[in-house]
Amino acid sequence: MAIRTPSQTIGPFFHVGLKWEAGEKVAFESPGGRVILTGRVHDGAGNPSADALIETWQAGPDGRAPVPGSAARVTGYSRAATDADGRYTIETVMPGACTGADGKKLPPQIHVTIFARGLLKALRTRVFLAEPAAIKGDPLARAAGPRVGTLIALRDAKDSGTWRWDVRFQGKDETAFIEI
Amino acid sequence: MSARDRIDIDPPYDYPAYKSTILRSPKQPLLRVAPHPMEATGPVFPRKFVTDSEADLTTWGKGAPLGEKMILTGRVTDEDGAPVRNSLLELWQCNSSGRYAHPVDQHDAPLDPNFLGQGKVLTGDKGEYRFVTIKPGAYPWKNHPWAWRPAHIHLSLFGNAYSQRLVTQLFFPGDPLLPIDPIFNSVPDESARQRMVCELDLEHGIEEVALGYRFDIVLRGVKSTPMGV
Repeated sequence: MAIRTPSQTIGPFFHVGLKWEAGEKVAFESPGGRVILTGRVHDGAGNPSADALIETWQAGPDGRAPVPGSAARVTGYSRAATDADGRYTIETVMPGACTGADGKKLPPQIHVTIFARGLLKALRTRVFLAEPAAIKGDPLARAAGPRVGTLIALRDAKDSGTWRWDVRFQGKDETAFIEI
Repeated sequence: MSARDRIDIDPPYDYPAYKSTILRSPKQPLLRVAPHPMEATGPVFPRKFVTDSEADLTTWGKGAPLGEKMILTGRVTDEDGAPVRNSLLELWQCNSSGRYAHPVDQHDAPLDPNFLGQGKVLTGDKGEYRFVTIKPGAYPWKNHPWAWRPAHIHLSLFGNAYSQRLVTQLFFPGDPLLPIDPIFNSVPDESARQRMVCELDLEHGIEEVALGYRFDIVLRGVKSTPMGV
């Protein structure tokens, strides 16, 4: 078996090569309930990380992997660099329910990959767009145990289409990252 | 680390010799959890997502960029040897003086109006790819006294599944800065480090115009699952 090519950091200058036009707006071939996922990325000193790159992948409203149509765009995938305040914002739709290995429906979740200067390999996790009661049976929620709160986006009180989710690389509320 | 790795291929998160890891490496172990069905799928990039001109970084300006012109070719396969077809490969780099076309880069080396340093291609039926570019320069950074990054090219790959996503760097053979670069040396295994060094490949260059370099890239197999799950 061939040795894999190792991961290296994206460094601080990734915007040169990884900028997509409207990359923070997730395209789908069929419409769904509009969702804004937004938040900030913080380092271990609590400072905003202004040179992180968030990518997301998710099921379409039908619970299946989105496949592009005739347009020259990718579907179901987003890419958003953080700004000077460490803030990212992604416009997407509510992911449909996927079926897990045990045949049960999984609660709506978005797959997140985080790159940054100082990350020699990407951090991976998933964020739930659901109330805590709705995710109790999910395998990731069980694996996260007391840290599950770091993986639940909070619905904005005034705008029910907006969900807030922060990422913390370290500290008391360090985000639960997963091995993929 | 994938269950199928016999050695540590990837660098650790916590690698203090590279100072930026100190406040950004997670302190808790990564969670091991059964794969989600979406992880075996991945985004599909239509052919029209890239244009042919994006494979040639030397034709964006009014004239040719300064520096040593080079042809970069290689194949993308997975660790079982299967070609990774129709997969997005993005590239970025500094110019031949060691300066990125990026507002944050304040290194006092000249910008090149004929070089932006960005390219992208989709791999072919055998996983093959080809870029035309110039050899990037080395540049100083503030990690430690006398810190200079060896010449390198950043590469971003999607593979054919979400779990295969990889961002890496390509280095050049015989570079005297390699032994003192903490980013290159964050990869613990020597044979894995050598995977990031391209090879001189004169045959794929252009006689009297451009040197050829070959860089094959190996992504994780799609069947890999985290250890113990």
